[in-house]
Amino acid sequence: MAKDLAIISREIFYFFTALIVLSIGLEIIWPNIILAYFNLNYIIVLWFVSGFISLVKNNK
Amino acid sequence: MIKPFWTKWQFLFKFRLILGLILLIFVLSFLYLKIVPFGHISYSRDYTSIWHSGKGFIYGFTPEERVDLKSGEVPRVVGDPVYFSVFTPRTFDKAKMTITYRDNLTLDMPIVEAGILVDNIVWRYDLKPVDNKALDYLMLRWNKTEENGHLFLQKEKNYSSLADWEKDLANGQLKGCNDNLADCLAVYNYSPKYNYQIFNYQPSLPLIINQPLQGAHQFYLYLKNEPLHIDFTFVDQNLDLKPAPIKVILSSGDNVIETETIDDANPHPGSGQAEEKNLTIDKRNLPSGVYKVEVKITDDMIIKKINSSVGRLSFINKIWPVSGKGDLTLYTDANYLQVKALNPASLQTISFAGKNFSLSEAYRQFDFKSDDGGLAKEIKISKDNLILENNGVFALSPGEIINPALTKVDRFFSVQTPVKYIVADYNKPSEEEGVKTATVEFNLKDAYREKGKYSFMISVPGLKAEDGTDDNLEIYKINIEFEGKTLWQKIWQ
Repeated sequence: MAKDLAIISREIFYFFTALIVLSIGLEIIWPNIILAYFNLNYIIVLWFVSGFISLVKNNK
Repeated sequence: MIKPFWTKWQFLFKFRLILGLILLIFVLSFLYLKIVPFGHISYSRDYTSIWHSGKGFIYGFTPEERVDLKSGEVPRVVGDPVYFSVFTPRTFDKAKMTITYRDNLTLDMPIVEAGILVDNIVWRYDLKPVDNKALDYLMLRWNKTEENGHLFLQKEKNYSSLADWEKDLANGQLKGCNDNLADCLAVYNYSPKYNYQIFNYQPSLPLIINQPLQGAHQFYLYLKNEPLHIDFTFVDQNLDLKPAPIKVILSSGDNVIETETIDDANPHPGSGQAEEKNLTIDKRNLPSGVYKVEVKITDDMIIKKINSSVGRLSFINKIWPVSGKGDLTLYTDANYLQVKALNPASLQTISFAGKNFSLSEAYRQFDFKSDDGGLAKEIKISKDNLILENNGVFALSPGEIINPALTKVDRFFSVQTPVKYIVADYNKPSEEEGVKTATVEFNLKDAYREKGKYSFMISVPGLKAEDGTDDNLEIYKINIEFEGKTLWQKIWQ
């Protein structure tokens, strides 16, 4: 169970990393494509939280 | 050993698949919003919700001092005009703006208009009617016909249709009116086919305007079997960093006859080094009638001199004399005057139609009214660098005044005005418990778009933030539907 949670938290962290990279890439190509509708800071906060959880779970 | 690995791999695979799909949906959703493949999208902002939430990106109102965000739950427009911009991911051809508002305005502010920026050099907005209380009042009392989206009001029912009325107008005769049709009809957001003529016109001597004028101006001139030759001398002050192109457009009605331009390479931005430029308009064999000349320049430029072969020349709606010489006499046909001093040194007492009015504060617009019913009202100023505006024309001598514009049902229109017909392109806003909803449409093909944003305006002529009264316009919701080419149309074209 603990191992599964560690995997899930790691995968979620990867997911948010990919989401941020894609979002920033799209913003560079077409400015305001995402920022006009959605604040990327929320994703960055979630990415940071998921990264922190992943770090804790995978070190146990 | 193999079984747990298999189970784990399947879970991981499934989990990654789900996350991958979420990622794909996320990217596709924003690509959809960027491309708008069906050519139709709407953005809105609901100011009644706690978060002022909305769809898309409708920026806040500016300037801050004309919007009260603190007194009520929704923004209150307290000064005229206010602006807001809307980000769109691509260009569109049409916009339909639906605005929901509560009108806490006094009777001397009967008009609400919305506009879109079409010219960033002269800062011109294409204005459309939102609310017109004078028309709302007359719609209930006069004979009303609606035809092809036009509102046709008759004091006495002489015509059964607008088409019949337009036919008579084109022939220069309207039932119940004398020869001067301009005194008999009023319009709003509508331009009928109307041929303005000056009876007993005699060509006058060439006109030299040596009075420097700052910024964009437009003027009417009248020709009858004579050539047109106008020499302009401009001065680019180079006080700001922006380039100062010059564009002069000669037109008749909706037809552009000639456009002359001078581009600016801007070699001395912000240097204060004055550059003189010359431009000429020369046309022969133009048919008799009234012509309009638009001089599109930035406020950093001055029209130093106008040398015109035609003597009848009147500036439309606005004149901004500058020179520092002072003691200037102007004439206008309107019975009110809006004056703004752009320098404390320009504060003074102005004489308008024989009455003295005090211009006591810089950067504030003052409204002066006259009861004089004469055609040309005299304006005497002792110091210039003033912006003088009204809905009429300005001229440097009373004999130069020409104004082919028909009476407008604007802020200064009185329902007692002795007109017999009114034609307007106007829809009365719907009203429910004091909250009004109006829809206006804009053509975006001519609209100015910068950094993906269209600039809109809400105007309540006469509304002033600094007058200390609590008249305002509460904005509840703005919804803008954009329409343009579909992805398939773009590909095939």
